[in-house]
Parts: sequence; structure tokens; C-alpha cells
Amino acid sequence: MAELISRRQLRRVATIGAVAAVALLYLCMVGLIEAFKDRNVVTGVITLGAVMLLAVPLIAGYRAALLPRDASASRLAAWQRVLFGLVVGLIAGAVLGVFVVIASAVDVRGVLVRISPPLLEFLSFGLPSALAFLAITGLGGLTGALGALLLVSPVRIRNAVTSAVIAVVFMSMIEPLLRPRLEQLDYTAISDFVYKSHGLTEAAAILFLVVGAVAAILWQPANDLVRRTVDAAPVESRRRIRRWAIGVLVVAVLILPQVSGTFLAQVAVLVGLYMLLALGLNIVVGYAGLLDLGYVAFFAVGAYLTALLTSPNSSLGIGLPFFVALPIVMLGAGMTGLLIGAPVLRLRGDYLAIVTLGFGEIARVLFESDALQPWLGGVQGILGIPSPFPPRIDLDLGTMHIFATGPQVLYYPIFAFCALAAVFAYRLSNSRIGRAWNAMREDESVAEATGVSTVNYKLLAFALGATTGCLSGALFAVQLGSVFPGSFDVFVSITVLAVIILGGMGSIPGVILGAIVLIGLPELLREFVEYRVLVYGGVLVAMMLLRPEGLIPNRNRQRELHEADSEEEQETLDGDLMPQRGTS
Amino acid sequence: MRFRLPQRINLVSTILWGLRIVVAVLVLAGSWATLSSGKLSPDAWRELVVFGIAQGSVYALIALGYTLVYGVLFMINFAHGDVFMTGAMTAFFVARNFGESGFLNANPIVALLIIFAVSMLTSMLVAIALERIAYRPLRRAPRLVPLITAIGASLFISNSIRGIYGEQSQTYPSIDALQGRLDLFGIPILKTQALVIVSAVVLMIALVYFVERTRTGRAMRAVSEDKDVAALMGINVDRIIVTTFAVGGLLAGAAGILYALVFNEVDWFMGFLPGIKAFTAAVLGGIGNIAGAMLGGLTLGVLESVGPFLLLGGANVPSPNQLRDVIAFTVLVLVLIFRPNGILGRSEPGR
Repeated sequence: MAELISRRQLRRVATIGAVAAVALLYLCMVGLIEAFKDRNVVTGVITLGAVMLLAVPLIAGYRAALLPRDASASRLAAWQRVLFGLVVGLIAGAVLGVFVVIASAVDVRGVLVRISPPLLEFLSFGLPSALAFLAITGLGGLTGALGALLLVSPVRIRNAVTSAVIAVVFMSMIEPLLRPRLEQLDYTAISDFVYKSHGLTEAAAILFLVVGAVAAILWQPANDLVRRTVDAAPVESRRRIRRWAIGVLVVAVLILPQVSGTFLAQVAVLVGLYMLLALGLNIVVGYAGLLDLGYVAFFAVGAYLTALLTSPNSSLGIGLPFFVALPIVMLGAGMTGLLIGAPVLRLRGDYLAIVTLGFGEIARVLFESDALQPWLGGVQGILGIPSPFPPRIDLDLGTMHIFATGPQVLYYPIFAFCALAAVFAYRLSNSRIGRAWNAMREDESVAEATGVSTVNYKLLAFALGATTGCLSGALFAVQLGSVFPGSFDVFVSITVLAVIILGGMGSIPGVILGAIVLIGLPELLREFVEYRVLVYGGVLVAMMLLRPEGLIPNRNRQRELHEADSEEEQETLDGDLMPQRGTS
Repeated sequence: MRFRLPQRINLVSTILWGLRIVVAVLVLAGSWATLSSGKLSPDAWRELVVFGIAQGSVYALIALGYTLVYGVLFMINFAHGDVFMTGAMTAFFVARNFGESGFLNANPIVALLIIFAVSMLTSMLVAIALERIAYRPLRRAPRLVPLITAIGASLFISNSIRGIYGEQSQTYPSIDALQGRLDLFGIPILKTQALVIVSAVVLMIALVYFVERTRTGRAMRAVSEDKDVAALMGINVDRIIVTTFAVGGLLAGAAGILYALVFNEVDWFMGFLPGIKAFTAAVLGGIGNIAGAMLGGLTLGVLESVGPFLLLGGANVPSPNQLRDVIAFTVLVLVLIFRPNGILGRSEPGR
């Protein structure tokens, strides 16, 4: 051991500390801490706001202990790494401490609206300035050191601790979902044991910590066991296992709204609508590689066409039955896809993105405008869209009693359409068409040279994407019973894009996971609504920087995205950026 | 535009020709109807044109940021509109303070200069951070990756500002010295609009001087020509790229204040539309081309202010001004489809 810390290490520790400090200040200023400071994780012990604040020095400490990647790294002793974590945490804590002291002395609310007295009291633990500063700094240092300790501890312990913490936070987050349902089903004893004023009780927290840790410890052997058993099984029974697994999944999806009650069903309906949108956009972005930022236009066209055709109050006033109107809607949307697709096909990727964004905005402004008000209803939209689905189902099948209302009913058609779209997309991706899209996305000129008609295949992608999107729009119109132009802003396009990016472009399981995570989770955190778009933006940036292929990557796409890593010459990249020739 | 008969009629070119004809007919019919009805007096037209030039010069300044970055990195910095917004939003608090303390009216020139400086510096810092955090690690990635990052960054910045400064829109304090009109060769012009146009022209001249005459500007042009060769010539490419973002940010920050002078109100979402419109302006003039961005900005500004009244006013369309954004986006779509190289762009792109 040559010296305590080298200059280079010192600089990196300082940098990470500074970044952590900025992150802490940012969380406070942007209002996330204020929004979550009263949301209990473990009632009386810790709130979600505190968890967020502590996560910053924890992660920073972990990162600091990880450094540096050069040869000297191996010579670092564990206590040195923990020291790094401690220092990083101290820096971050001290900066936040100074901020709290200043903000308590000077009123900054005129500019930074979120720095409210309750927030400051929360941050300073209600202590006077000097003590608060010391407490915040100390806590920061402690957490930083803890993060570093986590790194130097054996993998098994690290996993157990992480999983235990995640289990507790997750269980507390699903409180709005679980608790009302438990009470509704008369399991009040359980619900009272687990939850207290929107957070976990101490006993339940300890229980979940243990469960999380045990699950993490058992995960590896259990996983190995299952894998070994499956691998050892003959092909025939392996296929049977898979069929059973799919069967169980389908049954689970089918009975979900029955078990979970209306609230989750409502969330699931929303997730389903976005899943359908994402499956459609996935054809355009994931398969054909055309970044369409105006996808909301198809969603809007689907919803408005449905409204025009089925609502007796619309300007057409014909009031067709939904399932008669649906083919017309799909046809209309497919045509719109062709009309929008045709002019933009020859543009290169980034221009195409902006032009489609322009189309999306044009659509919204037109739907909103007074000029088209007599036909499309302007800002008031179109009301009175009849639902083809019964408002409630009450079936007595002797042994079992099925009862469903509102979203619980709508859940089934939406998921039927989702399943249909998923199977369709899956079959497409492995067909001749899918391979053509693949080729086109990887290299357009080569694809053209091998006989792929890029124009036709691009148009096809646009039309199919449009049709899927309009289906979602039609269901959306039916679900609400009315359409308003306000529902079709650019954020819908961005949300759907974020879903695809998070899950993995071109990957159907990825899209499904993305929709559940990005649409479902925020519904559970009501305080979160305001920060949704912020998080989507963050997700887009973070995914592109860290894992551009998404959480569940499509194999082809992954290879493409990491191609550049292995290439040494900038030349190829420049070639890639070359604009194609303009039209005519 | 070169004219060439299509060798074979196909769906795409049919749709494109249909689009051309529809647009031409709409423009001609709309203008004819408006002009023959004589709804607007010449004074009103003049007002619209001057207003168009004023907002056009704001667009032009933002468009320069797009063009500069495109020139060196060949990427669309989608978050540039939000860089513009951050400056205006941050400087608002300084302006409000000056307004309340009376400094703004006592010493309007100094106060305005300080407000400009605050806005420009803020925007510059945001632009530099953006490049460092979001774009630099992705220089070698496939071209859609930085674009998606830029979209994410745009949402992140605008929503952060919404969280930090609150979501209500803020009204810049008015300056007594800028009230009323200025008589320029017999044409009365609002003083604020005159100031906006003059400041934009000064900044553009400064930019042209910087790019054409200074050492850094020359290095910037070299990097935009060929990064590898520029690096071989001893130019620090990374530093030049950061400088480019910084200059773009400075101009955007200034544009933010000019925007506030023209429209008075600023809010966290103000970056989105001007951002896209400025991008339109940059493409209209020929992206990567500095003079093109200025020309495109002015053209778009005037089109957007005159267009709705000229094209739709005569057809008795209710509240044509609601459709001004449609005009801007239609221009964007048409330019990208029919002349993606823009007015001043070389027909055969150099890169």
C-alpha cells in the first residue's frame, strides 16, 4: 500500500461526491422529496422521500468504492473503499446541509417554489441549523459508507440486502392496490397486520425483509434446479412444460380482474391500451426502424373515427354498432397511415422523426380548432359514444359466481386485442416481411440491392402500425364514452416511445414489460402523476446511455446497437450519417 | 427544383403530386379570396409583417443553435428548445427583482444587459451539461440513438424546470422606455419589436465574425468539414464541440429574452413549439448553413404571422390565428418532403 489515496482517486471521489450533491439538491428542488415525504414506507420509521434521499449517497458510495478501473484498483483494501464511500457521502450530505441551513435562514420560495418550510423541517429533522447540518452530513457519510460496504461484502450478502430492501419498498408501494381489496374480501386482520396509515407496520417490514433476503439466497439454487430439471427432461415433456406454463399465464391473466377488484382492473385497462399502442409502434420503430413521433395521430384518428361512426351525437349522427364501425375505422386508419407514410418515406431517420412529430401536432391542432368544430366538435369533443360491452356481468354458474363491472368487463376485449396484436406481431417478425424489415433497418441500400422493395415495406409498416394504434384509439373512445382533443397530445407519442425503449425495441415481451412498468407503476403512486413525463424523459436518456437495447432485448437489435462498439473507425459512422438524396 | 417526369407512376409519387397540387390550390385560392375581399387594411398587413420579422428573428437565433450543432455533429439537438426556455425562465427572476426594485426603469440599459447575461449564461451552462452528459457518450452510436436521447433530455429539462420554478406562466415586467412606437422611415414600429430585431442582427453579426474570423471559429469550420482530419491538424475536437454547444446556448439564451420581450409570458413549456419552429427554420434555410438559419427564421416568422390571415382569412374560417401552428408545421413537412436541403442548402449535400 503506497499511499492512502492517489491524486487521481481523490479527483474521482470528489467528482462523484459533487454529482451526488447535485442529485440531492435536484431531488429537493424539483419537488420529488416534498411529494413523497409523507408517503410512508414503514409507518413511523421511514418515508418514500427519505428512501429517495438515502438512495443517492448509497449509490454514490457504491460507485465510489467501485473506482478506479486501472491497475491500482486491485491493490485497494476494503477499508480504503469504505473510506471512499464515506467521503463521497460526507460531501453530498454537507452540501445538502449547507443548502438546508441557507434556505432556513433566507426565504427562497420566490424562486424555488418547492423549498417549503415543511420540506426544510423534514430535511433538518426539526433540529436547529448547526445540529441539522451535522446530522445531514453524518447521515450522508454513513449511507455512503454503507453503499461502499455493500460493494466490498460478498455477492450473496449484497444480493440478499438489495432484494430485502426492494421487497419492503415494493410491498409498501402496492398498498393502495392491496389494502382496499383485502378489506373488501374481509381479510381485515391481514391488512391490519401489514399496513398502517398507508405504510407497512414494523412487524410486516421485518417479515418482508426476511422474505426478500431468503428469496435472494434461495434464488440461485432454485433457478439452477429448475433449469437442470428442464434441461434433463426429454423434448416432448419440455414442450409440455412450456405449454402448461403458457396455460397458467393465460388463466392468471383471465382471472386477474376478478381477484384484484376494480381499481387494478382500471389500471390494467390503461396498461392494455398503451400496450396495444406500443405493440403497434413497435412494428414501425422496432421492426422497420422508422422513428415515428406522431404516433398519437393514429390513436386520435381511431378514437375520432369511432366517435363519428358510433355516437348518435356526432356530426355524422349515424350511430353504427361498434363492431360494424370497427372495420371501417381500421381501414380509415390504415389509409391515414399510408397517406402520412408515403410522403415521409424517403426522408432519413431523424428528419422522419421530426416530420411525424409535425403531423402529430397538426392533427391535434386540427382536432382542437374552431375551424373544424362543426365536424369534430372542437375543444368540446364528441360525447355519447355507446359501449358495445355490457356495463356489468352477473353470471351464476352453479359452482361459481362471476360478477364484473365497468373496467373489469372492458379488460377482456382489450386484452384479447393485445394478445391478438402480440401474436400477429410475433408471427410477422419471423416471416418474410419481418426479415425484410430487419434487412431494411440494418442497411437500406443493401436491402434494396437484394430485392427488398423498401418503399412498400415501409408503407406496410406504417399501415400496420396505424391500424394497431387506431384499435387502441377505438377502445379508448369506448372506454371514456367521449373523445376530447386534449387526450391526444405529443406526450402520448412520447410515452409509447418510452415504453418501447424501456422494454427493448423490436421485443414483444419487452414491450409488455415496458407498458406494465411505465404505465402501471405510476398509477400506484398517486403523488407521482406530476413527475411522470420527467421520469419518461429520464428513462429515455438513461436507457440510451446505459442499455439501448432495452430490458428484454431483441437479439438482432442488440447486435446492431453494439456493432459500433467494436468498430474502430469513425468513417463507418460518418457513412451511416450520410443524408440520402432528396426526392424528385 | 429539378423537374423530371416520373418513369413509372407509383403510389408514392402519386400521393406526392396530389399533395403538391392540393397545397398550391389551397394557397392560391386562399390568398385570392383574402386579397379580393380586402378585409385587412395595408396598415394591418404591415403590422403583421413587422411582428413576423420580430418573431422570425427569435426563431433565427434559436435556429442558429440547431444549425451549429448539426454542422459539427450531424445530429438534431432536439433539446435545444428547452435550452432556450431555461434561460428565459431563470432570467425572469432577475427581471422581476429589477422590476420590483425600480432598477429596471431607472437604468433600463444596464438592467437589460444583466438580464441578457443571466439568460445567456444559464442557457450556455445547460447546453454544455447536455453535451457532456447526454450526447458525448453516444457519438459513435447509430444515428437514432442520440435523437431519442435528445427527446428524452428535452422532456427531462422542461419538466425539471416545471418542478423547480413551478408550472404557472410568468409575466416579464414591462419597461417604460420600451413602450410606444418608433417612427422608422414613416413606418411606425413597436419599440420592443425594433429592439428585438436590432439585438438579433447584432448577435448574428457577432456570430458570423466569430465563425469566420476567429481562430476557434476556423477550428469549428474545420471540425464540421472533417473531424478526423481536424484532429490530425491539432484541433481538440471535443473542445470545439463543447464550444459549439456553448455558442448555441448563448444565442438561445439571448433569444429567450427577446421572446419574452415580444410575447411577455414565459413558462416551462415555451421551449417546445419555438424549438420545433426554429428547427423548421433551420431546415428551411438549409441545415448546417448559418446564413440559411437566419433567412429561414425570418421567412418562417413572416409566413407564420401573415399566413393564417392570408390563406384562411378570406375563406371565413373562424379564428384563423389558432391555425398558425399548422402553417408552421405544414411548412416543415413540405420543406422536408420536397426540398430537404433548404433554400440555401447545396443540392448535393457535402456530407
